[in-house]
Amino acid sequence: MNLQKVSIDQYGKRSQEMKETFLGRDSQVRREKRASGVESMLRAMFLGENMGGRISSRQLKKSQPPGLRSYRYRRQAIALASLVAFLLLSSFWSKSWSQPTAEVKMSFDHFYNHAELTKALQTLAQTYPQFMTLKSIGKSYRGKDIWGVILTNPKTGPAERKPGYYIDGNIHGNEIQGTEVALYVIWYLLTNYGRNELATRLLDERSFYIIPTVNPDSRDVYINQVSDPDSPRSGLMPYDDDRDGMADEDGPEDLDGDGSITMMRKKVPLGTGTHKLHPDDARILVPIKPGEKGDYILLGEEGIDNDNDGMINEDGPGGYDMNRNFGFNWQPEYVQRGAGDYPFCFPETAAIRDFLLAHPNIAGAQSFHNYGGMILRGPGAKNMGEYLPADRQVYDYVGKNGEKILPGYRYIVVYKDMYTVYGGTIDFVYYALGAFTFSNELDQDPLEAQRPRREREEETVDIRAMLGQQGRLEEMEYHDLVLLGEHFSPWKPYKHPLYGEVEIGGVKKFGRRVPPTFRLAETCHRNAAFCLYHADQLARLEITKAEVKKLGSRQYQIDLTIANSRVTPTMAAVAIQNKLHRPDEVRVEGEKIKLIAAGYLTDEFRGLTQPIKIRQNKVPVENGVPGFGRVNLRLLLEGSGQVKVVFDSLKGGFKSRSITLD
Amino acid sequence: MKRRVLTVSFGLLVLVLGLRLWPQISPPLKLFPVRTPEEIIASLRGLAAQNPQLARVLTLGQSYGQREIVVLELAAKSQASSLPPELRPAVLVSANLEGLHFLGTEAACRLAKRLIDGYGREKAISEILNKRTIYIAPLLNPDAYSAWLGKWKWERMTNSRPVDEDNDGEADEDGPDDLNGDGFITMMRVKDPEGSYIPDPKEPRLLRLADPKKGEKGIYKLYSEGLDNDGDGEINEDPAGGVELNGNLPHDFEYFAKNCGPWPVSEPESQALLKFLSEHRHIALVLNFSTENTILNLQQTGQARAGADRVRIPRMYASMLGLDPDQDYTLKEIVEAMRGLGVGAGMEITEEMVASFLGLGPAVALDRLDLPLFEAIQKEYKEALNKAGLDYPERRAKPVQKGSWVAYAYFQYGVPVFSTDIWNVPEPKKPAEKETLTPEKLKAMSSEEFIALGEEKIAAFLKAHGAPPNFSAASLLEMVKSGKVTPARMAEMLEKMPARPPAGDEEHPDTYLLSWSDTVLGGKGFINWTPYKHPTLGEVEIGGFIPGLKLIPPAELAEKAINTHVDIYLRLIERVAEIQIQEVKAKPLGEGVYEISAYLTNPGWFPTSTAQGRRAMTSWPIRIKLNLDKEQNLFSGRPVVNIPFLNGSGEVKKVTWTVMAKKGSKISVEATSPKLGKATASIILP
Repeated sequence: MNLQKVSIDQYGKRSQEMKETFLGRDSQVRREKRASGVESMLRAMFLGENMGGRISSRQLKKSQPPGLRSYRYRRQAIALASLVAFLLLSSFWSKSWSQPTAEVKMSFDHFYNHAELTKALQTLAQTYPQFMTLKSIGKSYRGKDIWGVILTNPKTGPAERKPGYYIDGNIHGNEIQGTEVALYVIWYLLTNYGRNELATRLLDERSFYIIPTVNPDSRDVYINQVSDPDSPRSGLMPYDDDRDGMADEDGPEDLDGDGSITMMRKKVPLGTGTHKLHPDDARILVPIKPGEKGDYILLGEEGIDNDNDGMINEDGPGGYDMNRNFGFNWQPEYVQRGAGDYPFCFPETAAIRDFLLAHPNIAGAQSFHNYGGMILRGPGAKNMGEYLPADRQVYDYVGKNGEKILPGYRYIVVYKDMYTVYGGTIDFVYYALGAFTFSNELDQDPLEAQRPRREREEETVDIRAMLGQQGRLEEMEYHDLVLLGEHFSPWKPYKHPLYGEVEIGGVKKFGRRVPPTFRLAETCHRNAAFCLYHADQLARLEITKAEVKKLGSRQYQIDLTIANSRVTPTMAAVAIQNKLHRPDEVRVEGEKIKLIAAGYLTDEFRGLTQPIKIRQNKVPVENGVPGFGRVNLRLLLEGSGQVKVVFDSLKGGFKSRSITLD
Repeated sequence: MKRRVLTVSFGLLVLVLGLRLWPQISPPLKLFPVRTPEEIIASLRGLAAQNPQLARVLTLGQSYGQREIVVLELAAKSQASSLPPELRPAVLVSANLEGLHFLGTEAACRLAKRLIDGYGREKAISEILNKRTIYIAPLLNPDAYSAWLGKWKWERMTNSRPVDEDNDGEADEDGPDDLNGDGFITMMRVKDPEGSYIPDPKEPRLLRLADPKKGEKGIYKLYSEGLDNDGDGEINEDPAGGVELNGNLPHDFEYFAKNCGPWPVSEPESQALLKFLSEHRHIALVLNFSTENTILNLQQTGQARAGADRVRIPRMYASMLGLDPDQDYTLKEIVEAMRGLGVGAGMEITEEMVASFLGLGPAVALDRLDLPLFEAIQKEYKEALNKAGLDYPERRAKPVQKGSWVAYAYFQYGVPVFSTDIWNVPEPKKPAEKETLTPEKLKAMSSEEFIALGEEKIAAFLKAHGAPPNFSAASLLEMVKSGKVTPARMAEMLEKMPARPPAGDEEHPDTYLLSWSDTVLGGKGFINWTPYKHPTLGEVEIGGFIPGLKLIPPAELAEKAINTHVDIYLRLIERVAEIQIQEVKAKPLGEGVYEISAYLTNPGWFPTSTAQGRRAMTSWPIRIKLNLDKEQNLFSGRPVVNIPFLNGSGEVKKVTWTVMAKKGSKISVEATSPKLGKATASIILP
C-alpha cells in the first residue's frame, strides 16, 4: 500500500488543496445511514431498498461455502504470511536496536478478524513497548478479549497527566471498518514517532485510549460466517425478540449457500403481487403503482420457520443495541429499542464504562460507526435540550474543520439531522464524563458520492425517488462495472419448504456499508487524520507568565498566566455546570511556603482581583482555562526560597514552573 | 420507726398512684429494636437450614461496602408441585432499599417466617408455596443500615461509595460529628448577624425562616452538628457515603443530582437487584416496604406530557406518508397510513415501532387500564388499617420518588407493585368537632348559651375568623349580656366580613413531631437546645429532633403495624394471576373434521399482565399451542395463538381451530407464559 504520509508543514497546503478539490462536491446529498433496529427498518421501508422481514441483527451459525472461503482465505493467508514475516523481522530488530525505528508493515486493504487483530496489536505492542500498553479490558459475552490500547510517551510524563483522546470502533458488530481505522491510528502514531511532527508531538503531549473493537463476537460472525450487510449489529447474548419465552430460536439461514444472507422473492400470478420486475433490469423489483398489476412478492430474508410458529426469521441471534445501553438519557426498551434492561447490562458496554472511568483525563473522543459519511455530535435526543453554547462552539470548530479532512462527510447533529438515539455512547462520554465526543459514520454510499449536490429542501423529493426505486439501476451498474459482480448474488431459483418455488439473491454482506477493500486505506487515513486533528485540538497549556513581586520581608505576589493555545477548554461547560469532575487547580509547593490569598486578576492595570477561596496551598480554578484563552491569577505567598507553582488540570494536563523567592 | 414505715409506704402509694395516673411516663418506653444485618442474614439462613424442602438462601449481590445482600427463595418441593421454582409464577417481596426502613426489613422477615410456619397448617399458605415461588429480599441497602448501627445515629440513606459532594477533589472528608456526645447528630444554631431563622412564636423550640413581610428579622444560622473537618470554611459538606439507592433506578432518574448517582443503576446494589429481575422474568408481582406508601398515594413523579398519545410527524416523513405535518395523529393512524402505503413488504408494523422511531418518551402516569386495580387495593388497604385499629396519617403517605425502585417495577419491569411504609408518626388528636364554634352554630345559639361558652372559646373563635382587634371576647360578652347584640346577628356580621387568613398563626410543619415526642416518647424525641463551645463557630446551641424519630416507633405499635401488613401482603400474594385451560371442546363438523375450542381462564384476581407491562413489552402474551400428531392436520387457525392477556376473577377467552383427525385420537392444548407458568389439557375426539 502506498500510504499518504503528510508532514505537518505539508499539511496546511494539503488541506488547502483538498478544499479546492472537494469544495464543489463536499456536501452531496445525504444518504441516510441505514442502521439495523427500528430506525433502519423503517428507513429501509421508506427507502424501498432491500425490503424484508429484518427485525434485528442476526447471523448464521453455518459455515461458508467453499468458493468464497477459498477466496477470502487466500487473501487472509497472504496477510497472515506477511504478518508472520514481519513478526520475525521485528523481533530481530528489537533485539538489534534498543530504540526500534522499524516500521511494522500493515495492510489496510483487509478486514481483520479478531484473531488477526489480536496478532496485529500484539506485534505493535512488542515492537513499541516504550509507547504502547495493550491490555484486555474485559471479555465479550462469548469470552473474547476486548482489547484496550494506551499510547503515550511516558518520558514526557505519565499518561494520566496528559489530555486523553479516546477511540472506539465496531460497537455495532456489522460496522466493522471502525476497527481498521482505530488500528490505523495506532499504527500511524507508532511508526511515525520521530518522523512526523504531529505524530511525535501527540505521543509526547497526549495519551490515546483506543478500543479497536467493542464487539468482537459479532465482528467474527460478520467476517467469518454467513451474515448480511446489516447484521449482526447486536452482541450475541441470547435475546427473546418475539417474546415467546425462547431466545434466538428462529434466525435466517443461508439457504442457497453463497455465504451471505440475501433476500427471497416469489413470482405469483399477475395481479396478485405487490411488485413487478424493473423493465431495464430483472434483478430489481419495483413496487407497483395504483392501477398497475404486480406479479412478484417479497418474502424477506433467506430463512425458514425454525420454531413452527408461523413466522420466519423473527428471532435471530442477539437483538439488542449496545449503542443504546449507555448511562446518559437511557430509556427503556419500549421507548428506545435495543436499550437492554438497564444501563451497562452487557459485558461489552460495562467494560468500556470501566475503561473510560479509569482514565478521567480523557477529554476528547471518537466512536466509529458506518455509514453515510457523517461527523456526528449529540445530543441524541431533544428531551435533554441542546448542548451548552460554549461547548457547541468547540464542536463546531472541530467538526467544520473535519469536513475539510473528510470530503463529502457532513458535520451534523444526531437528534436533529438523523434520528433519535437515547443512551448512546457519545452522549454518555460528553454528558457524564465531560469529554468532547464525535461519532463518524464511516464511508459514503459510493453512488451518493458520485451524485451532484442537491439542496436540502429537495431531500424529501430525493427520498421519494428512492422509494420509487430510481437509482437502483445505477447501483446495479456499480456492482457490475466496479465491483465486478463480487458482492451481488444473482437471483437463483430455490425450493423453499413453505413458499415452494422462490428466488434467492441480492446484495451480499460486503456489498454495502463497508467500503470495497480498494477504498479502505483512504477511509482509514482520512478518519485517522481527523482523530489526530481532534486530539491536537484538546487543551494545550502553557504557563506563559510567572511574575514575582516582593511585597514585604517574606511576602511575595506572583502573577500567573496559564494560556491555552487550542480550541478545547480544560473543562467543558457541561462539566462546570454540573460539577462532573474536580475543577482545575493551582498548587504552590515548597518548604516553608504558605499561600495566604489568591484571586483572578481581572484588571491588571488597576490591580483588581476577584478573590478565590483557597484550601491550604491549593487554589481551585472552578471554570478551567477556556479554549484559545487564558487565566490570570494573582497569588499572595509567604516564605522564601524555592517555590514550585503547579497547574493541575484533570483533562487539560499538568504544567509546573519553579520560581526562586528572594 | 412506725412513723417512718408509714411515711415510706405512703410515699410508695403516691408513687404507685402516680404511675397509674400518668402511664405515659411510668413504664420505661421500649422502642422497636433494630437488629444487625448479620442477625437478619443469620435468621434467614437458620430458616432455610431448618426447612430445606421450602427455603433456600440465594446471594443477590454485594453492596459497595462489600456487604452481602441475600434473597430467600420459598417454594415447596413436594409432590403437589412438580415445577422447579424458576418456572413458577413468582412474587418478589423487597424491603429497605433506602437503608433506614427498619420496620420494612423486619416485616419482610416476618412474612418469610409466617409462610414457612403456615406451610402444611394453613391451606392458603400451602397453596401459595405449592404453586408459586416467593422471593424475599429483606435488606437491599446494608451499607446505610450498618451506618445506623455505628457510634452515633444520623439518617444516612446512602451506600458506602465515596462521593466528592463538594467537588474539591477529595471524598468523604467532612461529615457530621457528635459534639455533645449524646449519640445523636442533631442541629446547631448560632446567633449570627446574617442569620435567617427565628424561633417559632408558637413553639419556640422549633425554628423557622423569618418573614421580612411580617417585620421579622432572622437571628440564627442553622448547621447540622459537626466540625469543619477539612478546614475549608464549610461544615459537614462532604459526609461519608454516596448514593441513595432508591433514587438510582432508571424511571424518571434525576441526572446531575449527586445523591442519586452519576447515572441510573450506577451502584452495585441496584445492579444486583435489576440483574436478579432480568434473570427471574417469572416475577409477576412486587411487594415492597419503603418510606413510600404507594397504596395510599398514587401520585407519580413525571411531568404529564401533553398529548403523549397524539403526535406530530416530522415533515420529511409526513409528506412521504401523505400526512399533514401540522396535525396530530394517534400512533394507530400512523400505522394505518404506513400499511396503506404498502411499506414494510409484509412485515408487521406495530405502534411500538412507530413510537420508538418518532422518539416518543416514556409513560409517566399509571395506565388508565391499571388504575382500577390500584384503587381497589387502596380501598381494601384502608379498610384493613381501620379494622386493625391502626392510626395512620393518610395525608402523610409519601408518593414514589424520582428514580425509585417501585416506579421501575411498574413502569419498566411492568408488574403490579405495592409499597407501604407500615407506620408513620400519627397526627395529634385535634379537639372534637362539636366543641369548636362555627358561624352556623352561632346562628342557632341563644344568648345564654353564648355566655356559657366563656371568654376563652369565644376568643379562639374570633381569632380563627380573623375578627378585627376591637372585637375582643370580653367586649362581645358585655354586648350580649346587655342585649345590644344577639348571637344570630353576630353570625351575620361575621359572614359579611371579608375572609382573612389568621395572621402569624400557621402551625409549624414539625409541630406534630414535637407533640409526638412530648406525649408519647416522654420528650425523648427532641434534644433541647443546650449551649456548646464550637471551635470555629464559637458559642452555639445543639439540639433538635433525634434521628430516626419518624422511622422507629415504640415496640408495641411496631408489632401491631408489622403484623397487619404481613397479613395484607399475604392476601395480595394469594391474588396473583394464574392460567388454566378450563375446558377443551371438540365439535364434529363432518367425517374426521372437528372444531376444537379451548377455553382459557385466569382464576387469580390480578390480570395476567398490566397495561403498562404490555406497553413496556416486558409482559408476555399467553401462548397457546395446539399439539397435533403426524396424522392430524390443521385446517384453519394458527398452530400457535397469542392471547394478549386475561383479566382477573375468571375472565374466559376461547381459541378455536379446525382440524382433520381420526375419531378417538387425542389432541392436546398447551398454554404458557413466563409469568404465569404452564397449563395443559387434552381431549379424545368423539
